[in-house]
Amino acid sequence: MTGNILTLAASTFLETVRDRIFYLVAVFGFVMLASTAILSPLTVGAQGKIMADVGLASMVIIGLLVVIFVGSSMVRKELDKGTIVTILSKPVGRREYLLGKFLGLNLTLVSMLAVMGLVFLLMMFLAPGSFSLRFLGAIYLTFLELTLINAVVVFFSTSVSPILAAVFTLGVFAVGHLSQSIRDFGQLQDGLFQRQVSELVYYLTPNLEVFNLRGAVVHGTPVSAEHLVMATVYCLAWTVLLLVVAGSIFSRKELRGE
Amino acid sequence: MIIQAPVKNRTLDRETIGARHAERTGTIPDSPGGDRSNPLAGAPAVIQVGDLWKSFRSGFLKRRIRGIEGVSFSVAKGSVFALLGHNGAGKTTTINCILDLVHPDGGDIKIMGRDYRDPASRARVGYLPERPYFFDHLTGMELLQFYARLLDIPRESRAARIDEVLEMVGMTTFAGRRLKKFSKGMLQRIGLAQAILGDPDLLILDEPMSGLDPIGRREVRELLMELKRVGKTIILSSHIVPDVEMIADSVGILKDGSMAVVKDLNELNPGFSYTGDLALGRTRPHWLPSNNSDLEDGKVRVQVGSVGELRNLLNDCHRESIPLVSLETHRSCLEDLFMEINREAPQNPEVAR
Repeated sequence: MTGNILTLAASTFLETVRDRIFYLVAVFGFVMLASTAILSPLTVGAQGKIMADVGLASMVIIGLLVVIFVGSSMVRKELDKGTIVTILSKPVGRREYLLGKFLGLNLTLVSMLAVMGLVFLLMMFLAPGSFSLRFLGAIYLTFLELTLINAVVVFFSTSVSPILAAVFTLGVFAVGHLSQSIRDFGQLQDGLFQRQVSELVYYLTPNLEVFNLRGAVVHGTPVSAEHLVMATVYCLAWTVLLLVVAGSIFSRKELRGE
Repeated sequence: MIIQAPVKNRTLDRETIGARHAERTGTIPDSPGGDRSNPLAGAPAVIQVGDLWKSFRSGFLKRRIRGIEGVSFSVAKGSVFALLGHNGAGKTTTINCILDLVHPDGGDIKIMGRDYRDPASRARVGYLPERPYFFDHLTGMELLQFYARLLDIPRESRAARIDEVLEMVGMTTFAGRRLKKFSKGMLQRIGLAQAILGDPDLLILDEPMSGLDPIGRREVRELLMELKRVGKTIILSSHIVPDVEMIADSVGILKDGSMAVVKDLNELNPGFSYTGDLALGRTRPHWLPSNNSDLEDGKVRVQVGSVGELRNLLNDCHRESIPLVSLETHRSCLEDLFMEINREAPQNPEVAR
């Protein structure tokens, strides 16, 4: 079983590599260089902070683009083209298949974040007085956030079209970063309905602000080990839940029409 | 003149499959009937399909569309079973149910004794879909390596086995080429390669000859004959009757989603018929069969129904120095049956419920 999952993950990873997804890393490099060249003269004395801010935000945006664009069509593409039928005609379970695809895309994410992270750390190292190991914590949290978003897109891609899966995932990303604010705002309201709806939104969407310590790290706040552990557990809980539900939906899915 | 011998030895291959599940009781007809002298008559069923139903929902109003209705058959070890039917008759739906790609509304499928929903039931199954399409970012070799890993073929024997199947399907030369550059026929061949890669006991081939040129069709046919010779069980879906006649031991003809008939081809085929064109002189010999018809240039076409009659005809021609211009062999019983079953146009697949 594990062998099948790893084989499918490796194949998915290879597909993204050959689809030239890694060209996006070059975009990241360009953004980093541009931020240094263009913004530095405007931010006297805060060059390192601006670079760190732009660099960490770019990693999230590029990772999000990859997850949404690749993840939303990953399963549907195989259904439409029919590649899935020869795979599932082998002794491969549908949950194994889905998990393999998820892990393959996550492997792509890890690789991209590793390359982008190295470029980022190198740039920070070259900027006088800007380098800090705190950045590693922020990059790790970004990886956790994108892993969770990967699970969200896999969840949607098993039941709706790629476009809807992309839109819904983007929605979860946006609401996930606002859920705490929505809840706080709801508690200030007089109506019971508003308070309950804001509570519902808070509990039905992952709180992605857990993974967003980018601003704090840039301004020198350290990332505690406890926070990293709790964030890891939180990410794993949501990811497992989403993949279990996605696997259940996918197992009941008709993979061929009439 | 060489007369094609009307011999197709089915003594060893001949296998009887279950009759149509007419009573719809849910039992599976797995005991072979027909020729009890058949050495394979007691062979266990590799696959048993019993009273299989499947419908689909279609359109905004989710109208129910008929897929298959009460399809039953079983295939014994070492035999070739052909699913024949017009387009939309339910051949591919039946296969998709067997492979758990769609979920039947009712019925039972056992593959080598295992429930079809268990992925392990497909460990000894090879499948070629109707329109094979694979990861086009891979080369032929990489694709087979991918499937070899899914099939858990040991690492040390993987390369040798891949080379072997590439050779079998005539794709050794193109193994290093990306699949996006493959023609339809090449995809069909590489599809066949992945189907036989795990040395499966049961092969399920959905229209294996489609997309192939005449040479390719012949090669695939010969490959299937060879697989049959080494004891593989094959389920073949097709709407090309001559291909089925050449390969299959038994046939199930689907019509509008129902299994109209399940037959052993030997039971079906009482013999061959022959059509010969003779160049006559001025007189018409008295021994000429009564079903003759005149052609141009003084030629006449005669039809005889057995090897004995053919022999007499040739002797008579030889004795009276009448040239035999051409001779054709016909083995059209399956086609006759197929046409008989499909005489009426396919029904509207929409189900009123």
